[in-house]
Amino acid sequence: MHSRLFGTSILALTIVAVLSAACTKSSETPGSTGTTGTSVGVRVSQIDMGRSLTADKTINDKTDSFKPTDTIYASVATENSAATATLKARWTYQDGQVVNESTQMIAPTGDARTEFHISKPDGWPTGKYKLEVFLNGSSTITRDFAVER
Amino acid sequence: MGILENIFDRKDDPTSESKPDFSNVRSGGSSTAPAAPQPTDTIGSAKTYVVVEGDSLSRIAKREYGDASKWRTLYEANKDLIKDPDLIYPGQTLKVPGA
Repeated sequence: MHSRLFGTSILALTIVAVLSAACTKSSETPGSTGTTGTSVGVRVSQIDMGRSLTADKTINDKTDSFKPTDTIYASVATENSAATATLKARWTYQDGQVVNESTQMIAPTGDARTEFHISKPDGWPTGKYKLEVFLNGSSTITRDFAVER
Repeated sequence: MGILENIFDRKDDPTSESKPDFSNVRSGGSSTAPAAPQPTDTIGSAKTYVVVEGDSLSRIAKREYGDASKWRTLYEANKDLIKDPDLIYPGQTLKVPGA
């Protein structure tokens, strides 16, 4: 009886040992090599538009309706920090034409404001426009605005 | 013949609208954040690093730049190779841009 109990115990221990080894091997995934940094990255939190800027790159008088002679400003608020972040502003007209596209590469250390502006010497055609802001190649926020006489 | 010319003369046709011209648009911008260093195109002489087991982007950044938080610089430079910044594989050759 004792020998049977002993044998059973040895068998149980062997099974446990085998299962433990298998669990260790299955957890050794070749691709997973550890954490790479903070999980919270830069994000675009807000976009304002208007005719002029303050010293800290915020919009002085917010509006989504402009005159043909206006310089059009967009102030993009971002949160969090990153070694590098690429912001792109794409402005399009109602017929699908890309009016302008410009990029800024920033290294934010916290909340930041980045402004983009466009002007046209002979005046903007009246109609509807759209501003789309990209962060690191991905579209974030889109704003519609209009030019009226 | 003059009447026919007037009929088919499209110069005064109000229905033919030309698209607006945006070729003279001026643009600019600025930021309260510091400008990021521009990437260089010296691919031929670019420094590279071969990933070994146990590496992570933050560990490589610590080794190359002395600052683990610069891991995103490595990620941005190797986005075509690295789909997930938390997953790099032994044997991958990563570009190491200047800090």
